[in-house]
Amino acid sequence: MADTASLRSPRAGRAARSGRTGRPAQTSRSGSVVVHTILIVGAVVMVVPFFWELMTSLKTFAESTAVPPKVFPAQAQWVNFSSVFAALPFGTQFVNTVIMTVARTAGQVLFCSAAGFAFARLRFPGREVIFVLFLSVLMIPSQLFLLSQYEIMQGLGLLNTITALALPGVFSAFGTFLMRQFFLQLPAELDEAARLDGANPFQIYWRVMLPLARNGMLALGILTAIWSWNDLLWPLVVNNDPEKMPLSAGLATLQGQFLTNYPVLMAGSILASVPMIALFVIFQRNMVEGIASSGIKG
Amino acid sequence: MTEQTIATTERRPARPSPRPSGSTAGRARTRPKTGNLRKGEAFWGYLLIAPTAIGLLTLSIWPAIQTFSFSFTTWGSFGGHTFTGLDNYVAVLQDPEFGQALINTFLFTGMTLISVPLAIGLAALLNRRGLRGVGVYRTLYFLPVVTLPAAIALVWKLLYNGDFGLVNWFLGIFGVHGVSWLANGSTAIYAIGIVSIWSSIGYNMVLFLAGMQAIPAEYYEAASIDGAGPLRQFFRITVPLITPTTFFVAVITVINSLQAFDLVYLMVGPTSPAIQNAETVVYLFYQKGIIQGQGGYAAAIVFVLLLIILVLTLFQFRFQKRWVHYG
Amino acid sequence: MKIAPSPRRRRVLFSGLAAAASVALLLTGCSSGGSGSGGKVTITYGIWDNTQEPVMKQIAAEFEKANPDITVKVQLTPWDSYWTKLKTAATGGSAPDTFWMNDANFAQYASGGAIKDLQPMLAKSSVSMSDYVPAQAKAYTYKGDVYGIPKDVDSIALWYNKKLFQEAGVQPPTASWTGDDLLAAAQKLTDPATGVFGIVAQSTDQQSYYTTIPQMGGQVISADKKKSGYDTPEAIKAITFWTDMINKYHVSPTLQAQTDTAADNMFEAGKVAMIYEGSWAAAEFAAVPYTKQNADVAPLPTLVKPGGVSNGLGNVMSARTPHPDQAWKWLEFLGGEKAAALQAQSGIVIPAYQSAQDAWLKSPLSKTYNLQAFIDDLKVATAYPSSEATAVWQDAVQTEMNKAWTGDETPAEAAHNSATIMNKALAAEK
Repeated sequence: MADTASLRSPRAGRAARSGRTGRPAQTSRSGSVVVHTILIVGAVVMVVPFFWELMTSLKTFAESTAVPPKVFPAQAQWVNFSSVFAALPFGTQFVNTVIMTVARTAGQVLFCSAAGFAFARLRFPGREVIFVLFLSVLMIPSQLFLLSQYEIMQGLGLLNTITALALPGVFSAFGTFLMRQFFLQLPAELDEAARLDGANPFQIYWRVMLPLARNGMLALGILTAIWSWNDLLWPLVVNNDPEKMPLSAGLATLQGQFLTNYPVLMAGSILASVPMIALFVIFQRNMVEGIASSGIKG
Repeated sequence: MTEQTIATTERRPARPSPRPSGSTAGRARTRPKTGNLRKGEAFWGYLLIAPTAIGLLTLSIWPAIQTFSFSFTTWGSFGGHTFTGLDNYVAVLQDPEFGQALINTFLFTGMTLISVPLAIGLAALLNRRGLRGVGVYRTLYFLPVVTLPAAIALVWKLLYNGDFGLVNWFLGIFGVHGVSWLANGSTAIYAIGIVSIWSSIGYNMVLFLAGMQAIPAEYYEAASIDGAGPLRQFFRITVPLITPTTFFVAVITVINSLQAFDLVYLMVGPTSPAIQNAETVVYLFYQKGIIQGQGGYAAAIVFVLLLIILVLTLFQFRFQKRWVHYG
Repeated sequence: MKIAPSPRRRRVLFSGLAAAASVALLLTGCSSGGSGSGGKVTITYGIWDNTQEPVMKQIAAEFEKANPDITVKVQLTPWDSYWTKLKTAATGGSAPDTFWMNDANFAQYASGGAIKDLQPMLAKSSVSMSDYVPAQAKAYTYKGDVYGIPKDVDSIALWYNKKLFQEAGVQPPTASWTGDDLLAAAQKLTDPATGVFGIVAQSTDQQSYYTTIPQMGGQVISADKKKSGYDTPEAIKAITFWTDMINKYHVSPTLQAQTDTAADNMFEAGKVAMIYEGSWAAAEFAAVPYTKQNADVAPLPTLVKPGGVSNGLGNVMSARTPHPDQAWKWLEFLGGEKAAALQAQSGIVIPAYQSAQDAWLKSPLSKTYNLQAFIDDLKVATAYPSSEATAVWQDAVQTEMNKAWTGDETPAEAAHNSATIMNKALAAEK
């Protein structure tokens, strides 16, 4: 990711060889201390809520309401976690969330890369019009589709199913837009070369373009996975059976049961969000790079 | 960004598979006639966009049209839509609750936009050459982005608690007496806005970092030679050159913030005395449309929101020529 | 950045993706598999209370023993989302076959044709409406026909913390307490040093003004359901009774504090010494060790005259159920002696089946708490205020009343505004 634009500038070779990236020169030691101080303060603000979440999940209700706040529980109350399992079909909801996320992610990566390629590289009548139609969907707040999508699911008999959870999220105008941007940046010569070799458009897509757009697909996949895992409004509308809810909706209903019993609520929060966080910590490099590459110009 | 450029110029892609058999072989020797190419292309073009196009048509475009038609009807308790013309729109525009929800939403959006300069600043700090622990910082700042909004809402509810919350304990150190931040109408939306900043700053920071790393080193070198300090370099070089990313982030942030729902729903809720000063437009839509079953009215609410989003986005696009520098 | 994978690997990678997507979607199809296979009929039963879920499942098991060709599936939807989901499901014809109904929403569902008229089936059955508490039998009758079988009743009483009373040297509540006695005790029990309040003055209608308005001699809604009773001096006094506790006497946490920490949680943590709560709370409080040991319940203090509010649940059948006969068999069983006995034994709710109420008084919970208090309150309670479109005015009134609690409006203003809202909604009803 480092030497990107350096290839465009005339002094490309020199900058690339010297390994210097677009970073301002290093200054004094004291400057470095200031920088680290600011960054550490910020990092603390980011992390303290998570730390507090963990501590509270192990406290008794009385300890959690102590004034002034007690940091550590006297004894780790693992019973809070078992209360969550007793109140929610947690395992089932976890599986629901995984299935929904995988379906949406795989579907979007596949379909949006195909469509993105077509819009970027193929000519067909009505291409511009259809693309603008896609773009218009981007502008529309998703709540606009909600009531009608609900009725469609109802008509199909898909209420309270995981299919209903996943289905609308499989098709994405944003994903198409993103992939189109990635494909647009690939040089046209590649197509030409492939065509000269007699490849049809599908083969160009499948064999040539897709591998090169891996970054784009990765970015799209990661964004879709995170968004699917966190989706709340649609699951709340379409599934009312706790057995069919994903974790996001399940956690929301936990609040309805336990009101302000924070230790249990914190235990539930941890259980529901840990999988995605763990995934992130393991694959953070890929994930962050994927997200960064989605912030394309124009 | 321009990572694809590297992929293609530094590494030669594998040759495409052997020629397809049959009649195309001969033709491949010469420049294919545009007419023939277009025919084959069109077929593939339509085929490749088919799944997404059909999906979007049935699950997005058609529902949008249907919802538009809903907005001109009034719904009975258990179904049945009666045509009532523009009544819903008139009611929405006259409804003080909608007006307040709009104000709340704008306040929330304004607050979330604060994360943009903050993210730029953080990215600039992380971008310094030779800084140790960039990966660690990046991970920590990014944590909220991958955390369930429901979990974030509950944790912050705990932190904001008027009696035993950490926020008030912290303020107490400085002698400031804290209130029930989420239960008071005057403070709720701001408290929620802070959570929104907290949870999105990591994401924006990563985007800005990528944008900054695309800036050629020579610019900074030249500035150093001219005697400009890091702060000067930041404002004169970094900020202007990342304006495309800034624009992108701003547009996305505005569009997303105008649709805020999750945090309000989870942190405030319908029985809170603060709800009228905290509910966003989408929350109002949920209350009226899903909870109270007034589908027609709710549809009108969302359409007015759509208009607002369109106008604001258009405005941002028009206005970008003034301040966005494209390389 | 890795080199692009070889053609074969690419193919595998992407067919893998496609496979993943289709498997995922297929799985979803499989897991959403339909109800009863091979001649067995499955009836769904929608409920909202997780404390009662085990009892309902127990009743279902008993029913299935006697009716081996019917399976009953208990579906729990948390209270917060129960009515929302039910309404949309009923609109689309996918409501559970049978489900819980309460007094407030009954008229809307009956008049909207969402629940089935049970009169024809009742005529041929052993169930008789006279088995149930008369007020509830009436509550589930719409235009002369029965649309629901009463399930349970509840009432509100005064829960108090024995330990805090002892420590403060205050005599525990008795049946002869007046409003002044309540206030005096609350003042003695409030201790800023320990952060304990004498009472928590909730703004939730059932636990506050619905109990005090009849006690002041007023009514929330007129008998003919056409007029609101909020803008009367009695109602205003009933509201002021509570708001004064917060804003004048400071014996209760503010509404904001109650939003941060639920009133029930406050009582369970020993932060408030008294709370108006329902008979259903007995099981919840008994499940928390602190309140199991230290809580008890007494009849409501009398403000001007005895009174209170009683709500009831009923079991109803969806109008569009594909299995009306089996659903009726289930409802019949639910309304019978066995089911009532099981409910009574659990102690969680008071059965509407009158002859089972004694069993409730003898349930295990009666050893912990003075359950008689609720039966006493039931005798003087008024029915839960409802009309055909309760949902239209109830929440709006609650939001309005909240303003009196926070001090943003005076009780008189809140009462007048509430009456306006309510009268407007009532006028719009047929």
